[in-house]
Amino acid sequence: MSVYAVLFYVLAGLTALSAVAVVLTTSIVRAATWLLFTLAGTAGIFFLLGADFLGAGQLLIYVGGTLVLVVFGVMLTTQDPRLNLQIGVAEWLIGLVTSLALLGVLVVSLAGLQEPPDAPEGPRSLPPSRQLGAVLLGDTRATPVAPLTGTPQLNYYARVRVHYLLPFELLSVHLLVVLIGAAYLARAKRRRVDAQPPTSSSAQGVAP
Amino acid sequence: MIDLNAYLFLGAILFTCGVCCLMTKRNAIGVLMGVELILNGATINFVAFAHFNPTFEIEGQIFALFVIALAAAEAAVALAIALNFYNNHDSIDVDRAEELKG
Amino acid sequence: MPNLLEQPGYFFVVATLLPLASFALLLLSGGIKQLARRYRDQSPWCESLFAIMDGPSLRRLPALVALLAIAAAFACSLAGGILYFQEQSALQGDLAFLQQELANKERELLKAPEESKEAIEEEIEGKRSAIAYRLATHQRRVDQCWQGQFFTLFKLRPSGATPGRGTQLEVGFRVDMLTVLMFLMVTFIATLIHLYSMAYLAEESADSVEDHEVHTAASHLHRRGRFGRFFLYLSLFCFSMLHLLLADNLLQVFVSWELVGICSFLLIGFYYERQSASNAANKAFIVNRVGDAGFLIGLLIVWSYLGTFHFESIFAQLRAPVRDAHHDISFAGRIVRADPVLPGEEGSRRLRIPRGKKEAGQSGVGGSEGSEVILWPARPPGEYHAPHAGQAVKVVANPALDQRRFRDELAEKGEHGAMPYWMLVAAGLGLFLGCVGKSAQFPLQVWLPDAMEGPTPVSALIHAATMVAAGVYLVGRCYPLFTPEVLLVIAYTGAITLFVAATIAVVQDDIKKVLAYSTVSQLGFMMLALGVGGWAAGLFHLLTHAFFKALLFLGAGSVILACHHEQNLQKMGGLLSRLPITGWAMLAGVLAIAGTPLFSGWYSKDAILAHALGFVYVRPGHLLLFLLPLVTAGLTTFYMFRLWFLAFSGTPRDPHVFEKARESPWPMTLPLVLLAACSVGIAWGWPVWDARASWIDVTLQSNQPNSVLAEFGIVSHSDEGHSHEHGHGHGEAWPGAKKGPLSERQWAHELHDYAGLLALGMAVLGLVFAWVTYYSRTLDPAQARQQFPAIHALLVNRWYFDHLYDALLVRPAIVVARGCAAFDLRYLDGLAHALARGAVAIARLDNRFDQGLVDGLVNLVAGTAYAAGGLVRHVQTGALRTYLVFLVLATVALFIVLSYVALAAGG
Repeated sequence: MSVYAVLFYVLAGLTALSAVAVVLTTSIVRAATWLLFTLAGTAGIFFLLGADFLGAGQLLIYVGGTLVLVVFGVMLTTQDPRLNLQIGVAEWLIGLVTSLALLGVLVVSLAGLQEPPDAPEGPRSLPPSRQLGAVLLGDTRATPVAPLTGTPQLNYYARVRVHYLLPFELLSVHLLVVLIGAAYLARAKRRRVDAQPPTSSSAQGVAP
Repeated sequence: MIDLNAYLFLGAILFTCGVCCLMTKRNAIGVLMGVELILNGATINFVAFAHFNPTFEIEGQIFALFVIALAAAEAAVALAIALNFYNNHDSIDVDRAEELKG
Repeated sequence: MPNLLEQPGYFFVVATLLPLASFALLLLSGGIKQLARRYRDQSPWCESLFAIMDGPSLRRLPALVALLAIAAAFACSLAGGILYFQEQSALQGDLAFLQQELANKERELLKAPEESKEAIEEEIEGKRSAIAYRLATHQRRVDQCWQGQFFTLFKLRPSGATPGRGTQLEVGFRVDMLTVLMFLMVTFIATLIHLYSMAYLAEESADSVEDHEVHTAASHLHRRGRFGRFFLYLSLFCFSMLHLLLADNLLQVFVSWELVGICSFLLIGFYYERQSASNAANKAFIVNRVGDAGFLIGLLIVWSYLGTFHFESIFAQLRAPVRDAHHDISFAGRIVRADPVLPGEEGSRRLRIPRGKKEAGQSGVGGSEGSEVILWPARPPGEYHAPHAGQAVKVVANPALDQRRFRDELAEKGEHGAMPYWMLVAAGLGLFLGCVGKSAQFPLQVWLPDAMEGPTPVSALIHAATMVAAGVYLVGRCYPLFTPEVLLVIAYTGAITLFVAATIAVVQDDIKKVLAYSTVSQLGFMMLALGVGGWAAGLFHLLTHAFFKALLFLGAGSVILACHHEQNLQKMGGLLSRLPITGWAMLAGVLAIAGTPLFSGWYSKDAILAHALGFVYVRPGHLLLFLLPLVTAGLTTFYMFRLWFLAFSGTPRDPHVFEKARESPWPMTLPLVLLAACSVGIAWGWPVWDARASWIDVTLQSNQPNSVLAEFGIVSHSDEGHSHEHGHGHGEAWPGAKKGPLSERQWAHELHDYAGLLALGMAVLGLVFAWVTYYSRTLDPAQARQQFPAIHALLVNRWYFDHLYDALLVRPAIVVARGCAAFDLRYLDGLAHALARGAVAIARLDNRFDQGLVDGLVNLVAGTAYAAGGLVRHVQTGALRTYLVFLVLATVALFIVLSYVALAAGG
């Protein structure tokens, strides 16, 4: 049992159990907490898989951003703590059966997968953020081409043939749109207490 | 040995938990949490493939990055919707949103 | 547009059309005014138009228009009449001159030696041909100027009876002396009556008229004034009457006949809200209609056998021409009868004219027996070769009926036609029946007294002067059509009528009723005159009677208006001081009708009585035909003076009426004065005191039809187609004229003075009686009433004619009508109701089918769709979670399906 495997089992177990806990818990705050653990565990998985930047990014964005947002949402939409939003047993059953069916489908499909041809043995690290950034900026020439001594077999840089400048730009525009949209949607609105439309009140005179 | 299938299985579990969360939560924020779980499961899959398939190492990370960014954006909008919903119905229960009931 | 000076006959056409134009104008303007009245609330310019037309200045305009039209018609008639008289006098002068020369030459022939006889005979021939030429010229002139045709109604091929014309119906006109005189009389009197009516009906031009004889719930009826309508009807009447006078065929006469009947109806019923007036209008029209049935029968017989309605063509076929190619004919102007003998060839028969027996006063020539009448072809007499008594005549069977079979050649060979004699008698009787209805003779006299419900000018114009004269005019016009039997019927009808009506007039209290019965009686005089051969006398009386009767009616109207519509003689009296003009004018009329010497009525009445006496002298069996008019002359004088004395002399019996009486305005008194002048002097001739010398009488005598002389008199022996009678038995008899003792006309001439004296005596007797009873009040009429109750009841009940007709005709008609109404209501309406109910039942059944089956099917489809939708809609739960469940399940299912497919495909 290598350290790697132990780490994997711990982190995977944490993540999976936290995810199940999210499902099963009744209180929304507790669900948020368990979600926190899930997200943290996921970040750990990322680190285990060698995607350092991604793990850091997960922690920053998901845990530090999205989860906080979720918690804020929980805070802003509180209702009577005595209200218990539960569903019935039948619905639980249907949900479970359906989820298990889905799980079965996913497991069956992943079981049929073949090993990738050049899967590395043992842990390795994935390309760092420098390459990611270059790829995003669309620079296909991450490093100058090696001299005429030949190319070593693992020339990561030469293999980078794609660039993701367009999706990057799209994503930034998308984020702008989302920002505006969310800001608009969540603007402060007057709570409507009366059912009458505001334009007809002047025309009616004395209310009957 | 910890190979690709293990990570994929983890991803599947997270996905399933997310779906189950969607199906069983009455709180809109809970539903949102399910969505996060789904997205996380998918991200784990992406990164696992990047790790175990060297030709996919850049792309996997890039996709995962995009997913994270989009998930965050989507969470923001979803929360805005949920807040609107809460303001209009004075409740965060999604069962109240049955105006389209046939 | 014909030149009026070249064709003066068109003066009369224009005179006829002027009242028609007035009628059309008044109708149009009346229609526009009523439309404006109807829509004045909805349209502003309708309102202003109505205000203008109904304003006081324009309200009397219709009367002026009508008056101008009829006055212009009178002017045209006068112009045409003057031209006609000029031509007539020129002709008479020429003929007199030529005949004088001929007579001289013939005397010379008698005295001349043998050798120059031939030369003198040649000169005689020349004179005769000169006369013939002059007559032919005149005839051509007449054909060109004094008659005309406008258009053809329809035409059939030429046939045996009328080879030149075929059989055709043409609208045309013809002017002869009778037309001219009648035109002048009608237009003159109509003009005066138009003027009179403007004042008489002045109250109708007010906005509201109160009718005292119609009672409504509250009081009397108030209605709008009908001033314009009166003149509308008057104009139409004038046109119809003038057209009747102008017509040259029986069909146009019939059309006018009916038109005047309609106008009479409209005008009698002018105050139609009164039940009595509307009843009287109906009665007049219906009784006239009875007469018109006979008229139609006459028309049909004439058309069937003679093939034409044209007067000249009819007379030319019925009466023998006055000479033939040999300047001599046996039956000049007579109806020739014959008996069928021997079977004839195909398509023709043979008739033999029997040689007649010589009876006293009868013609010595045959033709007065026999069952068929020979119809003469319409050809000029010069080309004609007539048959003689005893001769067999080849006769085309009935050319008018079998037109297709006969061609022109047969006609040109001089073939005659034939018709049964009794048919001709029936035709004459039928036509006369129409005249009986129109002229209110016995037995159809019942309508004329009731016709007094109309306004007095109407009574004056229509029921005294013109319309009722139309019957007499037609008898005069159709004189050649009448056989001796028919003429006798006419005479007796006239005699009975004149007596019955005069007796009824004696007991009448209503001033207009007296005059109405007087009219009936005088019309009887005219019919009697026409029946006994006094053609000129009857029509002479027609003309003079028109004037003084119109005068009497207008005077009565003046009295009525002055007494505020009081018509009862017993309430009048002493009005001469209040109404001097009216009184003296009416006295002139009364004197005229009584036959006072030197008044116009004297000449005509004496002529009638003279002819009656002449007729009775020759045929003593018909003594009644002289006695009745004689007695009635006295009765006439009696009741007319009774009327005058009761109204104008003595003390007023009703002070109320007397107080308010005032002389009428000038539009009413001027006609009275003019008509009084006419009543006195219209008939004067020279010398004035000679009863036979009246210019009208002389004119009519020289224009009478040949048949008058042929039946009743002598014809002078000259080669003229135009008959001419000299006075005092001049001239010689034709071979065909009555030989032996003098004829009826000659006796009339001889006994004229005796008849006149007798009539004068009777008139004086009547005057004495009237004076004694009503002026000096020596005899009391109430006593007479008590002493002769039965006679009085008979007279007051109008000889029970109305009661008889009521029981005989009116009641059965009502019974039949009620029966028909009941039948209609019960069976016919029941049938209709049953059909309706059946239709409703079928409709209900149909409805059930439609609602149940058809609608049910549609509803079933709709319901099914609705139910299906209702089932399916439950899928949309509206809950998020169920959607997600479905989503996941669908994904799973999809994956399973795809994997199976992949497995199956991949193997």
